[in-house]
Amino acid sequence: MKSENEMAVAALELRHVTKLFGQFKAVDDVSFSLGPGSICGFLGPNGAGKTTTIRMVLEILKPNSGTITVLGRPSALEVRHRIGYLPEEKGLYKKMKAWAIIAYFATLKGMTRRAARSRAFELLERYGLKDFAEKPTDALSKGMGQKVQILASIAHDPELVILDEPFSGLDPVNQQVMEDLIRDLARRRRTVLFSTHVMEQAERLCERILLIARGRLIFDGTMAQAKRTMPRRVRLETGDDIAPLRGLAEVSAVRPGPRASAQGDGPDHASAPWELELRGDSDPQVILQTCFAQGIRLKSFNQSEPTLHEVFMRLVGPEAKEVGFR
Amino acid sequence: MKYAFLVAWREYAENAKTRGFWIGLFLFPLILFLCVQVPVLLERQATPVRYFVLVDPSRGLAPAIEAALEKSYQRQVLAALKEYARKNAAPMTNSAAPRPAPSLEDLNEADAQSLETFVAKGGTGFFLAQLAPRLRPGAAPFQEPRRPFQQVKLPSTIDPKADLASIADDLKPYLRQDKRLDAEGVPVQLAAAILIPPDFENRLVHPQTSSPVPAPRQSPPAPQIQFWSANTSDPRLREEVERAVNAEIRRCQYLARGMDAAVIQQVERTYIPFATLNPKKEKGREAVGTADMVRQWAPSAFVYLLWVAIFSVMQMLLSNTIEEKSNRIIEVLLSSVTPGELMMGKLFGIAAIGLTMIGAWMAALFGILSWKSAGASELVGQVFVVLRTSNLVPIFAVYFLLGYLMYAAFILSIGSVCNTLKEAQSYMAAMTLLMMVPLMTMTFIPKDPNGPLARVLSWIPLYTPFTMMNRATADPPLIDLVGTLVLLLATTIGALCMAGRIFRIGILRTGQPPRLLEMLRWAFK
Repeated sequence: MKSENEMAVAALELRHVTKLFGQFKAVDDVSFSLGPGSICGFLGPNGAGKTTTIRMVLEILKPNSGTITVLGRPSALEVRHRIGYLPEEKGLYKKMKAWAIIAYFATLKGMTRRAARSRAFELLERYGLKDFAEKPTDALSKGMGQKVQILASIAHDPELVILDEPFSGLDPVNQQVMEDLIRDLARRRRTVLFSTHVMEQAERLCERILLIARGRLIFDGTMAQAKRTMPRRVRLETGDDIAPLRGLAEVSAVRPGPRASAQGDGPDHASAPWELELRGDSDPQVILQTCFAQGIRLKSFNQSEPTLHEVFMRLVGPEAKEVGFR
Repeated sequence: MKYAFLVAWREYAENAKTRGFWIGLFLFPLILFLCVQVPVLLERQATPVRYFVLVDPSRGLAPAIEAALEKSYQRQVLAALKEYARKNAAPMTNSAAPRPAPSLEDLNEADAQSLETFVAKGGTGFFLAQLAPRLRPGAAPFQEPRRPFQQVKLPSTIDPKADLASIADDLKPYLRQDKRLDAEGVPVQLAAAILIPPDFENRLVHPQTSSPVPAPRQSPPAPQIQFWSANTSDPRLREEVERAVNAEIRRCQYLARGMDAAVIQQVERTYIPFATLNPKKEKGREAVGTADMVRQWAPSAFVYLLWVAIFSVMQMLLSNTIEEKSNRIIEVLLSSVTPGELMMGKLFGIAAIGLTMIGAWMAALFGILSWKSAGASELVGQVFVVLRTSNLVPIFAVYFLLGYLMYAAFILSIGSVCNTLKEAQSYMAAMTLLMMVPLMTMTFIPKDPNGPLARVLSWIPLYTPFTMMNRATADPPLIDLVGTLVLLLATTIGALCMAGRIFRIGILRTGQPPRLLEMLRWAFK
């Protein structure tokens, strides 16, 4: 069902897109496609090419090669009324009133002035900024200003919403509000592509992630697929010798793990945490069985799912460092 | 185009809310109002009466001096009365009542005889009565001008019979304003003392002899007529006295040589009216008047306005281009409009602001002039006439638009590559320096409006708007008029195209502004 839709009109499709700045390849042969109604996390270290890719999607920059199809059209300008965009660096006209900015950007997206105005007030009221509607934006706090800007980017109810770092600068309460807003967009079959450095958020929101590093797309898949790129792990805590476990064919690596419980100063403080990496699709039950058979007394045992953070660190860790020192 | 319009509308609405815009809007009318009003007030109040003492023991020259000063004052009264009549009385109709024998309109203050008629008929009183039936209802009563020079008596402590040197010494504290003199009970400042030696007749300088006629030799050389004054900046009294004294001495010389007093008077009153003519004016109307002076200099005022208008809207354009860039609003804008639409929107939004401002200025100019031209000086009236009859205002509007668009191309290029106003300062310093030239030449060009300097500057597009505005009333050759306009238009279009290319690239750039060469490379890409 979903793939049919995707086939019919992909909300966004990039094919072999490359962008050069002089000799520097900012984006290198990137291809991906987003179906309607999905939330996709666009992840990558600083300088990986996320913003450049987004700018090309919006036709602010032209790719050197490759094609970009936005809402079924070869040019974002043709469908600019149906796209919402929140750039990474946020700013507003300082002297303009909050409602006027939202309404202005909405009119630039094709709404009539009157509709844009009532939409602006409606959004400000819904997201708790009713009292600030008539304030110039330089009288707003940073978080409020950012909320205004996010509202401005979705005021015209776009089908494709591209948010570059929408959460930075927001307090936890407002981050939650934004998460709800994004989920709500997806529920209404809007496509959301957002970039973030906060992996927990991506993990909570995204069905799909795109990972880009040094201009290359290094991962494109669902969250589960992303996690499967990491070896399965078992964490256990015991005071006994774990030598028998090291010898198992299923275990590829053993290292001291993080302590699972904080009660390390009890009578059995001699126990130690271990992390065992499993080979391929090995069953963790094998470890448990071996422990029973060898008489290894376990204080704790769990199969831990890798976090997106770990996936990220593993996939782009060395790259990120390299870029960071470039 | 719709999006360019939306951008323009926002630029207009937001800039119209700024304090700078309103200050600009009202400052010019205020200055204009003061320019018209202050001289009137100054004329009424600021020129002080100059008090002087006249010591002439022989009484040989005093009557002539007094008469001359009186005549000069009456001339002033006559001029003021005529001006009063012009403003407050209906013009005399030819058909109705027969013209009274000497009518005010027939008198000319520059003509000695008509001045005498004025005095002989009874001066102000007589002619005011003559004017009364024609006065407009509610006209303010006529106020006689104040006497510029008022003679006062010597202080009682000074002996008028003492020799001039000691009188001069005694008067010095008064002349230095250390002491006040008593003029009919009011203490006043003594501005000048005129001391005439009793034997002045022996001190005349004759053309045949290089030294005074032999006189009792003294050392140091005998004083001539002495004019004492601590104020050397106002020579009017001295000139009047000198003229009166010399006229009197010559008259005496004529008489001494046996000429008839009546003949002398006849000769003295003989004069030929003088006219300044301009060969460029249409036949029969070549006379040069105040209007021609105004016509020559009014364009300079417009050049200044043009400069101020262009410069102030340029600043607006620069600061909000940089605001959009430094706030990164630009990215959101560019996801909705093309760089071209954005640039056009900004350009025309700010142009509309500028046009509103100069529209308000012109409205104020016409408003104040039409309100004041009835009541104020002749000059204001003439300015009004010149403005109504010349093309100055439409020319101003055309050169404002073209000049603004050309300079805006530079500003948009600068604004698009700079992240802060501070970064833009160095570029702006160069721009300002370039723009200073027309301000400096503004006052030279009217003196030779079709001369080499004016022509050369006219053909430099950067200066075309200002220089051609400066030459607007001097009938520049057609080739200059059309040629420079075409060149300006072409330059403006070219500059805007290049600015568009720089804008597109510069606006998304962060970090250090590029070198000029790099910008040029973008422009010609």
